Amino acid sequence: MADINIAKAPPASAVLPFYATGSLAFCALCLLLFLSPASLTTHYFNPHLLAIVHTAALGWGTMIIFGAAHQLLPVICQEDLFSPGMATFSWYTLTSGAFLLIWSFWNMWVGWIMITGGSLVILSAIMYLINVLCTSRICKKYTLQKLFLVTSGCWLLFTTIAGLLLAINLAFPFFSKNHLDILKLHAHAGLAGWFLQLITGVSSKLVPMFLLGKSSKEQLLKYAYALQNAGMALFLLDGYFMGVGNRVIIYIILVLTGSICWILYLYDAYKHRVRKKTDTQMKHTFISMICLVCSFALLPLVYYFPDSHQWALLYGTLLFMGWVTGIILGKTFKTLPFIVWNGHYKNLSGKIKVPLPKQLYNEGLIVWQFRLYIAALILLSAGVITRNLFVIRIALGIWLAVAAVYIYNVLKILMHKTTVPQ
Amino acid sequence: MSSPSENEDVDQKMKAQQALYQVIDPELFVNVIDLGLIYEIEFKGNDIIEVLMTLSTPHCPMGDAITNGVKNVLEAEFPGRNVKINLTFNPPWSFEMLTPSGREQLGV
Repeated sequence: MADINIAKAPPASAVLPFYATGSLAFCALCLLLFLSPASLTTHYFNPHLLAIVHTAALGWGTMIIFGAAHQLLPVICQEDLFSPGMATFSWYTLTSGAFLLIWSFWNMWVGWIMITGGSLVILSAIMYLINVLCTSRICKKYTLQKLFLVTSGCWLLFTTIAGLLLAINLAFPFFSKNHLDILKLHAHAGLAGWFLQLITGVSSKLVPMFLLGKSSKEQLLKYAYALQNAGMALFLLDGYFMGVGNRVIIYIILVLTGSICWILYLYDAYKHRVRKKTDTQMKHTFISMICLVCSFALLPLVYYFPDSHQWALLYGTLLFMGWVTGIILGKTFKTLPFIVWNGHYKNLSGKIKVPLPKQLYNEGLIVWQFRLYIAALILLSAGVITRNLFVIRIALGIWLAVAAVYIYNVLKILMHKTTVPQ
Repeated sequence: MSSPSENEDVDQKMKAQQALYQVIDPELFVNVIDLGLIYEIEFKGNDIIEVLMTLSTPHCPMGDAITNGVKNVLEAEFPGRNVKINLTFNPPWSFEMLTPSGREQLGV
């Protein structure tokens, strides 16, 4: 074999449990929403909605991202994963921590169970960050994607620490500031620091790879990095020391401009793609981007009409159920089948006729997943804006169908048995 | 005029190339020849085949599967020979390396 090091895929235990747990958490998320539709019609600070948001952010989004990142870090950093053991251990802490937090929020048990959950989540963020830092430290080639990954890991740690302090403050109040103001900072550090920057970094590597496209406008990613981080850092500093005021618009514009630079980079890669046919998985990504842009457009309404709770709820709906969920629903089937296929057929390729990765799941169901996802998202948004419980219930029923279709395909891939023709 | 040994070498390379049409990139569903991943095939003596090849991206997640496929196919086609894969990214793979058939398969 050549002297060039082809990074070895990490063991399945560092990746697959995250996908399995994440897909179960998505089902739990849709179920919790279905059980508590009224929580989408009142102020966002209510026990059920706190549980739902943490199921979305930790159990679903962060869980799948950890699994995908452990697999993709070697691709992005061109180096083996630093510690697969640490990756596996972070699954135990993230799963148990998220479960404790969600359970405590649902029942509003403030105290040591919630604090323990928060601490376990911090431990996961630390292990993840160590893996990212140590894998990318030995990286021979400097890339912007690496920078996004490292920075997003730092934002995750910051977010989880702020979250733990909030959990402690609920049980043993010690903040001199308003709890809800700190909650806003915690939520946005997670959304614009962790999710946005991780998705920016990973997508700027994977989308051109999947489309067989390329962009020569790397400069746009540099602007995206600088603007997103400057906007977030200024928002947090100003928000903490001076309180969230009118200057928030400046920070929104900074983060928005950074995000537009990133979207323009992806569009350039799309324009210069070799593969002209866009598959359903990539269409999920397209819709998720629209949701992100719409959520930015909603921010002035959220800020200037704080008493109309539906704008804040719609903002959260578009971010969690539209943007994060959309990108994961599509990308799962761009990564998981290949990870599982590699484990089963890597050494058999060329020896016998082996199935293709896309044959490990039901492709037709992905089309249905996409249609149901769009219907569920539009109806849920309409229900939230109009505060119509009937529409919300129908939308949540469709979300359950999305979850059922998604988990069927994920389990089909995970439970695949090597097929060798006789 | 070419010597018999040169003719034999050309025949063997043709045979190897033909066999490599069976190795498919699992993500792109196109074989490695039409993708332009194979740069050179060299028969050294009676027991070694050296393949100089690339991947569509460095650290391609499917890299192992593709290089294993090339090795397995050539070992089956030329029993008793040791197949050595030399991976290079110089020059890096680019769209221009696709054959006309590869372009057609990708819908370019």
